[in-house]
Amino acid sequence: MGKSEREEFEKAIIVERLAKNFEITEKKSGLIGSLQTLIVPTKKTVRALKSISFSISQGELIGFIGPNGAGKTTTLKILSGLLYPSSGFVQVLGFDPWVRRPEFLKQISLVMGQKNQLWWDLPAIDTFELNKAIYEIPDNKFKENLEELTTILEVKKLLNTQVRRLSLGQRMRLELVAALLHKPKVLFLDEPTIGLDVVAQQKVRDFIFDYNRRFKATIMLTSHNMDDLIDLAKRVIVVYKGEILFDGDLKELVGQFAREKIIKVYLDKPADIKKFSEIGKVKKYDYPQAIIRVPREASAVAASELLQNFPVADLTIEEEPIEDIIRRVFKGETVKKKS
Amino acid sequence: MNKYLQVFKISFQQEFAYPLSFVMWRVRNVLQIFVVFFLWDTVFSFRESVLFGYDRDRILTYVFGLIFIKAFVLSARAQDVAGEIARGEIINYLLKPVNYFKYWLTRDISSKTLNLIFAVGEFILLYLILKPPFYFQTNPVQITLFLISIGLAILTYFLLLFIVNAIPFWAPEMGWGGHFLVTVILVEFLSGSLFPLDILPVNIQNVLSFTPFPYIIFFPLQVYLGKVTGILLFKGIVVAIFWIIVLWFFMNWVWSKGFKAYQAYGR
Repeated sequence: MGKSEREEFEKAIIVERLAKNFEITEKKSGLIGSLQTLIVPTKKTVRALKSISFSISQGELIGFIGPNGAGKTTTLKILSGLLYPSSGFVQVLGFDPWVRRPEFLKQISLVMGQKNQLWWDLPAIDTFELNKAIYEIPDNKFKENLEELTTILEVKKLLNTQVRRLSLGQRMRLELVAALLHKPKVLFLDEPTIGLDVVAQQKVRDFIFDYNRRFKATIMLTSHNMDDLIDLAKRVIVVYKGEILFDGDLKELVGQFAREKIIKVYLDKPADIKKFSEIGKVKKYDYPQAIIRVPREASAVAASELLQNFPVADLTIEEEPIEDIIRRVFKGETVKKKS
Repeated sequence: MNKYLQVFKISFQQEFAYPLSFVMWRVRNVLQIFVVFFLWDTVFSFRESVLFGYDRDRILTYVFGLIFIKAFVLSARAQDVAGEIARGEIINYLLKPVNYFKYWLTRDISSKTLNLIFAVGEFILLYLILKPPFYFQTNPVQITLFLISIGLAILTYFLLLFIVNAIPFWAPEMGWGGHFLVTVILVEFLSGSLFPLDILPVNIQNVLSFTPFPYIIFFPLQVYLGKVTGILLFKGIVVAIFWIIVLWFFMNWVWSKGFKAYQAYGR
């Protein structure tokens, strides 16, 4: 086995029994409430992460998903050294992140869709020059990386425009350039496509995919956007209320969480919609087509019932769309039914 | 070192991002000088004598000296730190191999350089308009010590600001309050930027001389005017250095606590 091959199998990120508690001072509403808070603060401990464990190999691109407040951003912040864990073991590229050693910081990057590092009043190129100095990127490397990144992201013409005059999509792409000029080995992306239109989203997605393959960079991506995950991540980790619900292939996730099948029927004659609902949930009825959702295990029975009792011209049974499954996972619905 | 040179450069460019706002701030400075100038000019026009140990020339030099020293000492970028912490923008720097303290000190010096350039222009302009009897210090020792005391003043004020601006680590909404307390109440009042401190009763002066505030503005100016010499001057510089050391350790302590709090809560 060659050296480069072996390196690929090395773990870039190791997380073991990681827990993070936040102590929060509760604020009461109104003026009197505020005063009360000032005098007698009521503290509450929020368990943002409850003993999670996972590891990521070098060069892997994984989707980190879960509903709001599940602990996604907290995890990314711990991994990039912004927060320290309450307990547990965390190692990124062999470093303890929260020590924030320069050698560690030079190899990572965190991009948050809602936070920007570009200097608002200046052209993006000025921020890039600053990052060049901060990360101590040699001149030729800097030119090469800048050329490459601006070409792939199609932002070459925007370099000398004041950032405040750019559109959100243009800005986000420039943010990516700023975050990647030092060619980080590990990249944390927190909602990178938030607020972007479909075209801009696709550009960013294509880029992330490309970057991962080209530089064998380890990428952890959180997103609310199903398309991001379906397009990019082979492996996903689903977190919910600070715990890992699922860690594995996206396809497996579908297998594990898909509970329904979708039956599409085409009718010869109009039929009574109420009768359909005895068989399953009617999702849509628009003559001649009806779409009915039925439990997985009952799909065969439901199909035969439909064929017997209705003037069916054509019938198909389909898997639940992946987006729907993830959406349910996001809502935490699956979890409730499981437990 | 290149790192902070680049910080200096980008910070300098940033100052020009809103040229009108910059010009207005300079105009405000000039108007302030006019007000104080005419106030003292009027006071001395009634009685041709010495007041609180100041004659007309010296008090007017004091007023003019204020333009310079305020431009250099009080024009501090570091007052934006509180906002950065409160808005969570500080993470941009925590993620990078950069020293946050040095980063802001550089930005401060960058801002000061720009302000100094303008202050020179304003000084010439005002000098030509008002034709004040200006007192020029000629003693090279006194001038050297004046420059040293200015350096100490810059550091003292920067450390004070950096300490106060750490408040949002614990109370994000308190950023402006802290800034107001330090710059307006303590510094403007106790540093001598509104009136020479030696018009105050001797007891109060004595107490003040052991606080860091007079060393921000009053002390350097006194050195320039030649009103502090010898042992008193030496004492002043020692006290100023003492405060810088104390504030430095205190600042480090506050910031390490602040980072801890920040890393514990996040924002």
